[in-house]
Amino acid sequence: MPELDPVVHGKLRLAVLSLLVGVEEADFTWLRDKTGSTDGNLGAQMLKLEEAGYVAMQKRFAGRKPQTLYRMTPAGRKALAKYVSALKELLGAAL
Amino acid sequence: MTDYESENGTTRDELVQRVALMEEMIAEGRASTARWGWVFVMWGLIYFAAMAWVIFLPFKDWAWPVCVAFGIVVSVIKGRRTRNTGKNQRSRSLEAVWQIFSAGITLYVIGANASGHGTQPAYYAAIFFFIGIAHGISARILRWGAQGLAAAVWWAGGIAMFFFTMRNEILAIFLIAAFFGMIVFGLYAMMLERRRAAEMVQAHA
Repeated sequence: MPELDPVVHGKLRLAVLSLLVGVEEADFTWLRDKTGSTDGNLGAQMLKLEEAGYVAMQKRFAGRKPQTLYRMTPAGRKALAKYVSALKELLGAAL
Repeated sequence: MTDYESENGTTRDELVQRVALMEEMIAEGRASTARWGWVFVMWGLIYFAAMAWVIFLPFKDWAWPVCVAFGIVVSVIKGRRTRNTGKNQRSRSLEAVWQIFSAGITLYVIGANASGHGTQPAYYAAIFFFIGIAHGISARILRWGAQGLAAAVWWAGGIAMFFFTMRNEILAIFLIAAFFGMIVFGLYAMMLERRRAAEMVQAHA
């Protein structure tokens, strides 16, 4: 049986990685709005993804407004691809 | 209980839900990431305001520069506020099309008016074709028929300019094109954006 990466498998973390796979970079508030999560929950999950090396965070200023930007790392892409392969294997013909 | 339930405690339904979640989020990430319907409505209204100023108010020479400057300032301020979106290649392409269009048409209008060529029918027709081209490229990028229709409105107006060259005719063509090609199109885009936002809220409720 293939193993599902627990870091990727978390619902909110999976949503974030799926969003990031289609964009070059994304702001924290955009991710929060798209996933419908709260600041606290998203912040905690982003930290887990960062610790796993799946996303990279960058802080900068847009004018005077601070901005927290995230982008997916090559390790994150690899982990998501591996997760999809494992899902395919588990669900078999259903996919 | 299936094999993988016993192995890692995840049910088949949960896995299917994860697949659906991924599909939804990937589509969200790839979709156009900003709301721009209001820009078209605003510019359509600016065209009407500038025309009204030219017809009914004094200092006619100031009408277009003031109205266009107002539009540029509002677009830049609002544009800065929408920077906190997820950028992808498509959104960058769309931004590039409209930025280059804005720069091109500004230089064209300044050049034509400074040299005294700003009153000829061909001058107006070129503006129509400029706007139509920007709409057309956006429509191709987005594969969006409604914006293709907006492009067609401006091109039809551009062709009409060569056949109807009286001042009132040019004015009428311009207002019709601005109404359908900017205001109506922009309102339609805003309606779609609101509907999409409502669907997303519902999906996350």
